[in-house]
Amino acid sequence: MAQVQTSEEQSKKEYFPINSLVDVVRARRRGLEIAQEMGFPLAEATKIAVVISELGRNIERYVGQGAITVTTHLGREKYIMIVAQDQGSGIPDVDRVLVGGYSTSGGLGLGVSGSKRLVDKFDIQSIAGVGTTVKAIKLLR
Amino acid sequence: MRDFEPSELGETMETFTVVQKLEDLLLVSVPRDLTDSDVLRLRQRVLRDIRRYDSRWVLLDFSLVDICDSFFGRFIHSTAQMAKLMGADVIVAGLQDAVIETMVELGMTLPNIHAVLDLDDALALSREYKTREQVQAEDPLESPDSSRVEGESTDWDAFADSPLSDWTEV
Repeated sequence: MAQVQTSEEQSKKEYFPINSLVDVVRARRRGLEIAQEMGFPLAEATKIAVVISELGRNIERYVGQGAITVTTHLGREKYIMIVAQDQGSGIPDVDRVLVGGYSTSGGLGLGVSGSKRLVDKFDIQSIAGVGTTVKAIKLLR
Repeated sequence: MRDFEPSELGETMETFTVVQKLEDLLLVSVPRDLTDSDVLRLRQRVLRDIRRYDSRWVLLDFSLVDICDSFFGRFIHSTAQMAKLMGADVIVAGLQDAVIETMVELGMTLPNIHAVLDLDDALALSREYKTREQVQAEDPLESPDSSRVEGESTDWDAFADSPLSDWTEV
């Protein structure tokens, strides 16, 4: 039990509902602060904020509503985790999106593929009709 | 910089002095925390003011911006293309180190756009070109290369080596 409490103390989670473009701006601004507070240098914190921005925009643009949670973990492993979740129709071709240069909205197709390059671990789970969960982890070294 | 809630910006951007005229430059101080729709509104305003002031240069000053994602990169790129069709060149100034590092790693670079460090450099660039144009106008038979001003010390072509000189998707 004591160990569980310790790990809870080391983990902090903030939840950002994404229903509008303004929510995206709020989430990325706060994400930059959280990352800097936990010790990321500015350039790395900026990358985290941009990942939040890209994933938040995708929720707003393609689904309309969803949420982003930002979890910081300062245990033996130190990292920040961004989870973007929606209950939209899913991404038909995840692999193509991950490669980059693919967009159905006239964008550059850099959002997801670029975000992947900005973090250490990146994972997309997308199920048609159920929704999409994108998980991005950046380690604090 | 005055702080404001992002939601207010759409309504109030017109009243903020983010676009100013300086010689033949249109000085655009890009605010932080713009939503995507604010960004598009800003682009409309820039294009409108290029026409209004007959600007030859658009200076996008990014010194206030600390988060620059792919939509912003696209904004710079598309503004430059549209401005070009109106006879104006875009200069980007004041990009912070952390922003540049993030943009490049994200896969964004900017072709055909002059990038300078600050406003002084931007003004120097526009004046330099103006002098060149005047020299060419006085002697139209002279080739563009030989029209370079005597005693010129700044090699603006060196900016072509900056990491922002090509727009590629990696």
